[in-house]
Amino acid sequence: MDQLSPIHGGHYSHDLLLHEGDDELLEGTRAFVEQGLASGGKVLVHGTPERVAMMRSSLDSHPRLDFGLDRDLYTSPSSTLFAYQRMLAESPEPVELWATGTVPLGDDPAGHPAWARYESAVNASLRPYAFHGLCTYDTRTLPAATIAAAKATHPCLSTGGRRTLSPDYQDPADFLANPVAAVPDPPVARPVAMATLGSPMDLSGARHLLKASAESSSALARDTIDAFVSAVNEVLVNGLEHGGTRVSLTVWAEMSRLTCLVTDTGPGNTDPLSGYGYPASAGPRGLWMARQLCEDIFISDQPGAGCRVLLTTV
Amino acid sequence: MGSLRGTGIAGDEAVQRGQLQVFSAGDRRVYDQAWQMSLLDEALADGFPAVRWSAEADTAWSVLPRALHADIEWATDDLCHTRPVSVLCQYPAALQETTMETVCAMHTDGLRGSLVRTSPIPGGMAIAGEVDGTNAGMVHSALAAQSAATTGGVTTFVVELSGLDFLDLAGARALVTGTAAHRAAGGVVCLRAARPPVDRLLRLLGVDRFDGFRVEGA
Repeated sequence: MDQLSPIHGGHYSHDLLLHEGDDELLEGTRAFVEQGLASGGKVLVHGTPERVAMMRSSLDSHPRLDFGLDRDLYTSPSSTLFAYQRMLAESPEPVELWATGTVPLGDDPAGHPAWARYESAVNASLRPYAFHGLCTYDTRTLPAATIAAAKATHPCLSTGGRRTLSPDYQDPADFLANPVAAVPDPPVARPVAMATLGSPMDLSGARHLLKASAESSSALARDTIDAFVSAVNEVLVNGLEHGGTRVSLTVWAEMSRLTCLVTDTGPGNTDPLSGYGYPASAGPRGLWMARQLCEDIFISDQPGAGCRVLLTTV
Repeated sequence: MGSLRGTGIAGDEAVQRGQLQVFSAGDRRVYDQAWQMSLLDEALADGFPAVRWSAEADTAWSVLPRALHADIEWATDDLCHTRPVSVLCQYPAALQETTMETVCAMHTDGLRGSLVRTSPIPGGMAIAGEVDGTNAGMVHSALAAQSAATTGGVTTFVVELSGLDFLDLAGARALVTGTAAHRAAGGVVCLRAARPPVDRLLRLLGVDRFDGFRVEGA
C-alpha cells in the first residue's frame, strides 16, 4: 500500500485508527493532536468521561486543545453532523478544526448503522472545510460489521504514524447501498394515515393530518413532532415543485418513532446526498433544513418512476 | 347569496328582516361613495348599531379604472376608522406582486387569508396562523407595505409572531424579503415572541444573524 503524505493543513481529511490496545490509541491520538496544534488549528478530543479523563492525563494542556464529552457533543448523528458543518461554514474567521475520538456507538449493535451513515455523510458535508477527523475504533470490542463500516467510511487508514488509502472506502452515495449501512425500508406495518397532494393548497391539510396522527399514535415530545412536521412539509414542497402532479404521503407511528414516506411521479434521477452540503447563499435549502429537523432522510429513485423519500424521527 | 348556503347563515331570512342587502357587482351604484353613505345613514337611522359589508373587490377592476378603484379603497379604509363600519374586501390570493403590495397598503387593518391573518400593532404588524408557500406572497406584500409606512420616522418595525402556529422555508423567506427595504434603509426588524417551532426554524435558517434582524422572546 502506498504511503500518503502527512495530513495537509487547510484541507479535509477523515482518517481511521483501528487499535487493539490503549497504547496504540494514545500514540495515534498524541501524534494527531501534536500535528493539529503545530498547524495552528483548534483541536478537540471527545469521548466518554473515562476516555476523556485518560486523554487529559496523557496529553499536555494547550490553549487550543479542548476536551468534550460525547453526551454533550454527539447527541445524535444529524445534530452532530450539522453542528460541525455550521461551526465551520458560519464562523466569521476561517477555522481549522482537528477532532478525534470514537463516535458514541452504544452497546446495542442495532444502533451502529446510524453512526456509520454519519461517518459516511461527514465526507459529503464537511469536505469543503479545513476539518480533520481521526476516528478511533477498538477492534477488540466492536462487532465485525461495525469495523467493516468504519473501513468503508474513512478514506484513509492511520497505522503506526503512517497514512494509507483505505482499500474498502466507498463514496457516500455508494455506501448507502452497502448492507452495513442498513438503510431502512418503509415499515411493513399498517400506516396510521395516508394522503395525496395535488397542489400546495393541500400542504396545510397534510401537516395537520401528520400532526394529529403523531399526537394520537405516538408518545413523542411536542418539539420532536413539530420539527418532524416541518421536515416532512419541506419534502412535500419539493415533491410538488419537482415531482410531477401528485405527491403521496404515508405515515407510520410507533410509541417512540414516526416514519413518513413521500413519493412523487416526477422524473426521478434523484441525488441521495441532497441536503448534506451547506447551501449556497441563493441556493435551495429545504432539504438541508429538513435533515436538521429529523433523524434521517433517505432519498432514492422509486422502482418504476419518480422519487421516494423516507423520513424518520429520532 | 349562493356562497352563504351551507354556511349556517340564514341569508334569506336576514334579507327578509332587512338586515342583509345583496348587490350585484354590475350595479354601478355600489361604487358611488355618496350612495354608500346614504345606505349607511339609513341603516343607523333604522336603529342598527353598525354596518358591515363585504365584496369581491377585484370584480370592480372590470368595471372601473384601477386608480378610481384605489381611491374608493382608501376612502373605505378611512370610513372604517371614522364611522361604525367594518369592511372585508375579497381578493384572489394569486395577485401579481406589485398589485398585491398596493392592495395590502390600502387595507391598514390587516389581511385575512384562509390560513393566515395579519393585523396592525403599535410599531409593526402581527402575523397569526400558518405561513407557507400558498400565502408567503401575501405576507411578503403586507410586510413590505406596512414596514415601508414606518420607515420614515420609526426605525424598529416589530413583527409579532405569538399567534403563528407554522412557518416554512417559503414563509421565512417572506419575512426576510418583505422587510428588505426597511432594513436596507437602516431600519431594524424585531421578530417577537415566536413559538418554539417557529423560533427554531428562524435560528436554523440564520434569520437571527441577518443584517437588521433581532429575534426576541415574548
